[in-house]
Amino acid sequence: MKMKKRIALLLALTMVAGMTGCGAASTETTTTDSSGTEEAAEASGETMYIPLLAKGFQHQYWQTVYAGAKDAAEKYGVELYFDGPPSETDIDAQVNMFKQELAKNPVAMGLAALSPESLYEVLDECAEKNIPVVCFDAGVPDDPSGAVVATASTDNEAAASIAAEKFGECEKLVEKMKNATPENPVVIGVIPQDAVSATQIGRGKGFVDKMKEIASQYGTVTVTGHEVWKDEADNASIIIDVEVPATTEAVSVQTVANSLLSTKGLAAVFLCNEGAVTGFLAAVSDGEDLAEGGKYAELVVAGFDAGAAQKNAVRQGWFLGSVSQNPYMIGYDAVEMCVKAAKGETVSDIDTGAVWYDASNMDDPEIAQLVYD
Amino acid sequence: MKKLSGDKIDMNKLLAPAALIILYIFFSAFGNNFFSADTFKNILEASYYIGFMAFGVTFIIITGGIDLSLGTVMMCSALLGAYTFKQGCPLILSVLLTILVGVFFGLLNGLLIAKLKLPPFIATLGTQMVSQGMGSIITKVQSQTWPTATDLTGGWFKRTFIRANLFGINGFPVGALWLLGAFVIATLILHKTKFGRYTYAMGSNEEATRLSGINVDNWKMGIYILSGLFIGMAGLMYAAAYTTITPGTGNGQEMNGITGVVIGGTSMSGGSGTMVGTLIGVFIMSVLKTGLSSCGLQAPWQTFFTGVVVILAVLMDIQRTKAANRAKK
Repeated sequence: MKMKKRIALLLALTMVAGMTGCGAASTETTTTDSSGTEEAAEASGETMYIPLLAKGFQHQYWQTVYAGAKDAAEKYGVELYFDGPPSETDIDAQVNMFKQELAKNPVAMGLAALSPESLYEVLDECAEKNIPVVCFDAGVPDDPSGAVVATASTDNEAAASIAAEKFGECEKLVEKMKNATPENPVVIGVIPQDAVSATQIGRGKGFVDKMKEIASQYGTVTVTGHEVWKDEADNASIIIDVEVPATTEAVSVQTVANSLLSTKGLAAVFLCNEGAVTGFLAAVSDGEDLAEGGKYAELVVAGFDAGAAQKNAVRQGWFLGSVSQNPYMIGYDAVEMCVKAAKGETVSDIDTGAVWYDASNMDDPEIAQLVYD
Repeated sequence: MKKLSGDKIDMNKLLAPAALIILYIFFSAFGNNFFSADTFKNILEASYYIGFMAFGVTFIIITGGIDLSLGTVMMCSALLGAYTFKQGCPLILSVLLTILVGVFFGLLNGLLIAKLKLPPFIATLGTQMVSQGMGSIITKVQSQTWPTATDLTGGWFKRTFIRANLFGINGFPVGALWLLGAFVIATLILHKTKFGRYTYAMGSNEEATRLSGINVDNWKMGIYILSGLFIGMAGLMYAAAYTTITPGTGNGQEMNGITGVVIGGTSMSGGSGTMVGTLIGVFIMSVLKTGLSSCGLQAPWQTFFTGVVVILAVLMDIQRTKAANRAKK
């Protein structure tokens, strides 16, 4: 008898669990629907279901992408589902999510792929089912299936080269580069969060290439560190050192940052995303070591992306500045392009752009809206 | 009295399968397009590697041990396999190497635990880090890619392990056959051989087993090696399903395997558990995850509810043991 009771209890709990779930989801849908009813009627006869699969949720960046996507969804009367794997290395989780969303037969799908190769077969299925896929944030290069119709993303190489240009304009750093000798070289550190994603590889490359071009005016430049970017030269007086953390977690970034900080001759550091910035800040007492009179006051630092901690570091003048993409537009464009693709209109790739922000301009309205918390 | 306890055991056996079926029906009714061939295939494909891990660790948990290195060893084996393939090694050798890496770490765990008497928790915590580090070092922290289905060299990899054109079906989930095969073999070993009997005996009372003249250390080594074989296979299945393997990952994957075993009714204190329970446990987890997502619930909710199910499953296990003990008295 007791057993039966227990079975009943388990079932009841499972049901409750499930229903809370479904309940929560449907509420969300209704809100989107009701607020976008008018436009929805304008745009098309019925609500379109469009899932957007991000690379994760943990960074503010994705929240801003989500905000942009939500606004576009409201405008076009789209039932939006926004999800991402628990961490940006969970390739398997993302593949499963993508498959599950595909099984719901959406009119179009948005995708920020963690690993394009892992998704080839699922993209084939999209092509078979005639479901257009719009990539956002990162594309699927040479998509063999033809399911990917367009990509809304930042030209990462171009964006990261802005930081290198700013380093080239920084007198403190230029002076050091001029005075550097092979015996007493100056080191410029770069921390990409990983050496896997096209985004990080592109940013690293964009920065390294531009920095090399600029620094070559002052001496021989060698690029050391991780294989992906390595380009070594003998007798160099300027060393660009690209160091990749063992995992994408903040603590691993911190470890790499610490070893970089103890490198003799370190004059500048470029951090390729919010994750790299967070880990780096942890290694410099939340940025205080970079302040006037701090241990690393002389260090020139630039970041990429935004987020509360990074913005604070820029505002305090601890960072020379940072490059920001336009995450809001990435999300907005992704949904808009999905809608167009679903209706059979042709869409093409969009460069959503990037800006440089520092303490002097970060409160300008047009910059402030890009620099999310 | 005797008859009553017999009934109870039957009920216990039915509990997990019943929960699985009810979950499936529930999500079919409430999920968005949950009841479809596509979703079913998705559930299967997400379960292969977890199933292999869980089969392997079932043996270990029945002996009262634990293996925390499951996930990282799996990733390490898949990484090294892909790495050697990229370096020009024939794919078949890379496939074998993948399994061998699993066996190697099984052997290492076995040595540390059975011969050098390290507590399993500590030993496998160590090998967890060693395997993760090793994978990263050898691949120079670069992600490794297995051949995709359309690649000219090695396209057979996916066709062999994940989906193929079989029985006239395009995209037949051939991985299910591997899983089924592994399940049958694991079941036979656990329930029909001396190896299996000693596994239970060690978990119930290791000292008594030793005193009855059984070389516990050697058998234990064997168990960890066998588990390593399954984990190497899990690496292959993971590679076939997800293609790209990222260094530095795998932490936390071991919990997928262990959770499946626990939901399936295997006691963490050892001495009891079944292979069929593990299989069902793995599927309960996959159905739950896929189902919650079909209800529009995002990843954090899926993790949350999986946690709730684990707690419930273990609570019921405790109640069950209590009831069984009472019946014995």
